Amino acid sequence: MKLSTFRALLIGASILCGALPARAAPTAPAAAPPAATAPSTEAAPSTAAAPPSPAAAPSSEAASPATVPSAPATAPAGQAPGAAPQVPSAADTRALDEEAQSLKKDVVDLNRDLYVLEEELLYPANTQVAVFVSMDVGSFFGLDSVELKIDRKEVANYLYTPREVDALMKGGVQKIYIGNLKTGSHELVAFFTGKGPNDRDYKRGASIKFDKSIGAHYLELKINDRQHRLQPEFEIKDWGE
Amino acid sequence: MGRVYECRRRLVALVLLVASAAAVAADYPLIGSSAPDFALRAFTGYNVRLSEHRGEVVVLAFWSSACSTCGSELAAINRSYSTYRTAGLAVFGISVEDSRRHAREFARVHRVGFQMLDDPAEEVSRLFDVDSLPMVVLIDRNGTIRDMHHDFGSQDEARYRAELRRLLDE
Repeated sequence: MKLSTFRALLIGASILCGALPARAAPTAPAAAPPAATAPSTEAAPSTAAAPPSPAAAPSSEAASPATVPSAPATAPAGQAPGAAPQVPSAADTRALDEEAQSLKKDVVDLNRDLYVLEEELLYPANTQVAVFVSMDVGSFFGLDSVELKIDRKEVANYLYTPREVDALMKGGVQKIYIGNLKTGSHELVAFFTGKGPNDRDYKRGASIKFDKSIGAHYLELKINDRQHRLQPEFEIKDWGE
Repeated sequence: MGRVYECRRRLVALVLLVASAAAVAADYPLIGSSAPDFALRAFTGYNVRLSEHRGEVVVLAFWSSACSTCGSELAAINRSYSTYRTAGLAVFGISVEDSRRHAREFARVHRVGFQMLDDPAEEVSRLFDVDSLPMVVLIDRNGTIRDMHHDFGSQDEARYRAELRRLLDE
């Protein structure tokens, strides 16, 4: 049970136990509490001070029949009895559909522009660094995760699902990190974990030092198979600006 | 007579209080919001990312080896999973356990057909605001959190099934 629930239960019980002795013993079963929370529209004046009596419950029921007839009264408003309902023509429907499609396209365009604007604002080109992951073949290495450190600070830690590994093996490229770095010399270290040859746990690291100048900088973590050694190979390629 | 009546009144009041407490338990702040994405490692070795299961009804069952009703709850969910997995139901048991060894042992003993995930840093538990166990979160096909349940009783399996059917039919 939730702590808050338990606390509410305790408070409720303490209120109940504290309130009962103070109250006069009921002489008739007229003061049962079940209808206590039901808001009554025609509550008797006595219910303000004393716990609501069952008399209050029928009052709410009595109020409901008064409101029920109003619903069917409003339903047919504006339509003459016996008049045929207006059926929109095919041209009207087509025009409406085209308008909806146009609006949808506008929203998609706007979303794209906003995304580009957000990228430009969050990662200005002069400080932007982006790191990508790609995989070539990958039969000697089953990728599980990549941990990325820039200047000894962990900036990304990504777990790969089998579906994502499949996508990488089919030639997909993943943007694992995008961030801002000031100009100057930096070091990128990447740790790859997964299953190596013979299904053994495998962890390898690769590092690169690069100079960030004005303009966006791109780096690629490449996982290749080295056929003649029957081992995977991890390489970091600096695409520069 | 008056004493009997007072006792009855107290009993009614207690029932009402318990009912209101149940209503408080249903007051889960994440209901109606988009489920936060996560990636966790399963005990079987594969990784699971929640966002890859968009389009399926997802059940997240948080458990711990110290929780007395978690085992029976996982067994009940497993029965529903074996019935509805082909209809687009995905279930993940998420360990909320300090000791990985205990979690592995629990997962080994309570053999289920769905993936049991390890959450060593308890990040996902924090994301889903897990405050007591067992806890089950139901996510619809659009990735929206639709319901949450605490505790588990004999009547709950039928209730879970009804809710799952409703979500799967949407």
